[in-house]
Amino acid sequence: MSTRTLAVVSGGLSNPSSTRLLADRLTAATVEALRARGDDATVEVVELRAHARDLADNLVTGFPNGSLRAAVDTVVGADGLIAVTPIFSASYSGLFKTFFDVLDKDALVGKPVLLGATAGTARHSLAVEFAMRPLFAYLRLIAVPTGVFAAAEDWAGGGTDRALAGRIDRAAGELADLVTGRPATARPSDPFADTPSFEELLKGS
Amino acid sequence: MQFGIFSVGDVTPDPTTGRTPSEAERIKAMIAIALKAEEVGLDVFAMGEHHNPPFVPSSPTTILGYIAAKTESLLLSTATTLITTNDPVKIAEDYAMLQHVSDGRVDLMMGRGNTGPVYPWFGKDIRDGINLAVENYALLRRLWREDVVDWEGKYRTPLQGFTATPRPLDGVPPFVWHGSIRSPQIAEQAAYYGDGFFSNHIFWPKEHTQRMVEFYRQRFEHHGHGAADQAIVGLGGQVFMRKSSQDAVREFRPYFDVAPVYGHGPSLEEFTRETPLTVGSPEQVIERTLGFRDYVGDYQRQLFLVDHAGLPLKTVLEQLDMLGEEVVPVLRKEFAALKPAHVPEAPTHASLVEAARQAAETTEEVPTR
Repeated sequence: MSTRTLAVVSGGLSNPSSTRLLADRLTAATVEALRARGDDATVEVVELRAHARDLADNLVTGFPNGSLRAAVDTVVGADGLIAVTPIFSASYSGLFKTFFDVLDKDALVGKPVLLGATAGTARHSLAVEFAMRPLFAYLRLIAVPTGVFAAAEDWAGGGTDRALAGRIDRAAGELADLVTGRPATARPSDPFADTPSFEELLKGS
Repeated sequence: MQFGIFSVGDVTPDPTTGRTPSEAERIKAMIAIALKAEEVGLDVFAMGEHHNPPFVPSSPTTILGYIAAKTESLLLSTATTLITTNDPVKIAEDYAMLQHVSDGRVDLMMGRGNTGPVYPWFGKDIRDGINLAVENYALLRRLWREDVVDWEGKYRTPLQGFTATPRPLDGVPPFVWHGSIRSPQIAEQAAYYGDGFFSNHIFWPKEHTQRMVEFYRQRFEHHGHGAADQAIVGLGGQVFMRKSSQDAVREFRPYFDVAPVYGHGPSLEEFTRETPLTVGSPEQVIERTLGFRDYVGDYQRQLFLVDHAGLPLKTVLEQLDMLGEEVVPVLRKEFAALKPAHVPEAPTHASLVEAARQAAETTEEVPTR
């Protein structure tokens, strides 16, 4: 049995936040699905609201400050990612996008990710497919086939309805399959270790 | 160890008065700053090269040639010379000429330039940046070292029987540094040739500089130029000083808050914590600068940025007075006391001429029978 690390990026802005609520549901289901497959999991949650100013500073200065660097390292070093955003103006929130904008473009290559989103009404539900999925395709993560969208009505009665619960479990199972199938030694790209020797550079490689 | 200043040459409004200097004023200010650097006992003045507003220094050897005529001992350098978009033939000629004019008081720092549109203005493509730096510099080295060059490459017209004139002073090309903020390939290039590596060390956290320098040192040793701690390292640094640190912070904050590059972002306090920027008393600058050695090892050149973000000339000259009178003499003494004997100083024209003479003697001593 190995211990896998799950990073959870939640872009919710209010407190309590339905985005965080969905993120927590997805996380609990994924941890359970990993256990069912014989793996343990540690979970690290990155609440982007806490890094709102850090992210704006990173846009201006070009580097993450200490607090943001810790969050970035958490996400880059994780075996699997759960990324959940509120849908604003037909897409992921600007804060959510900013977090992925400030990462090195190769930092998350090959990492399994579960996509989740929340909004006031179900009219935004396909934003997971047409907005979130291309972002993570560009960053070359492996997104699980089931994206989980939750509108206000999905939380009716104070809990999840069966349809949402079903989607959560299916997506969590898909993520757990990808995470357990991944070699434990997968390392993020390292610009120093990956620098070609000067003889190769001279050949114009 | 060498101490000096480097100037980007930005024309930036003074945020406390709203006044923007003219290009003429800024150019004359840069010259005044360079002359002051010699007057207060600094060793090096380095200037940037830019081909887009709001920067003025498009023609470094013109300004450096003028400064050479007005100074006696100041070492003239660049920060950086664009090895990507300049023709290496013209670099070879311009800087060999500057060597002669200045009696050997010149070295260069190569850089790629990070402004996309500048490349096509000079017939190049930023996506070729690394390859241009590699090919052009390899040619530049030959132009300085071989009297007649036959050459063919990817990015420039071939050369047949070409001699770059004037030949380098005393047959010894200027020493070269390579500057890069983020590309390990450039540290690799510096290490391969046994050239110096300069880390900007201004805008980013020290961990970044530490990693680049460590990589350069390892590769310097790998390529057989000496031990890792004998590699030639230069660092940037940014300071603003007043007698009391409260006065320094109060005076610099309006410039910091709207400065190009990092303005409108983190607070002055956050940025001084996260990066090597020091705003405070001369004692604080001394303490922080001595600390650089803790993470890059013994190094050879320290250049400070003192004249950007719209600071008025009068203020910059006061900064230079404090650097020359209160800061650098202490740093010289302290760094010298810490440096082991086997760590070399930065090469100068005199030391390179001497090294060439010794190399020639060694060759002559080889038995010929």
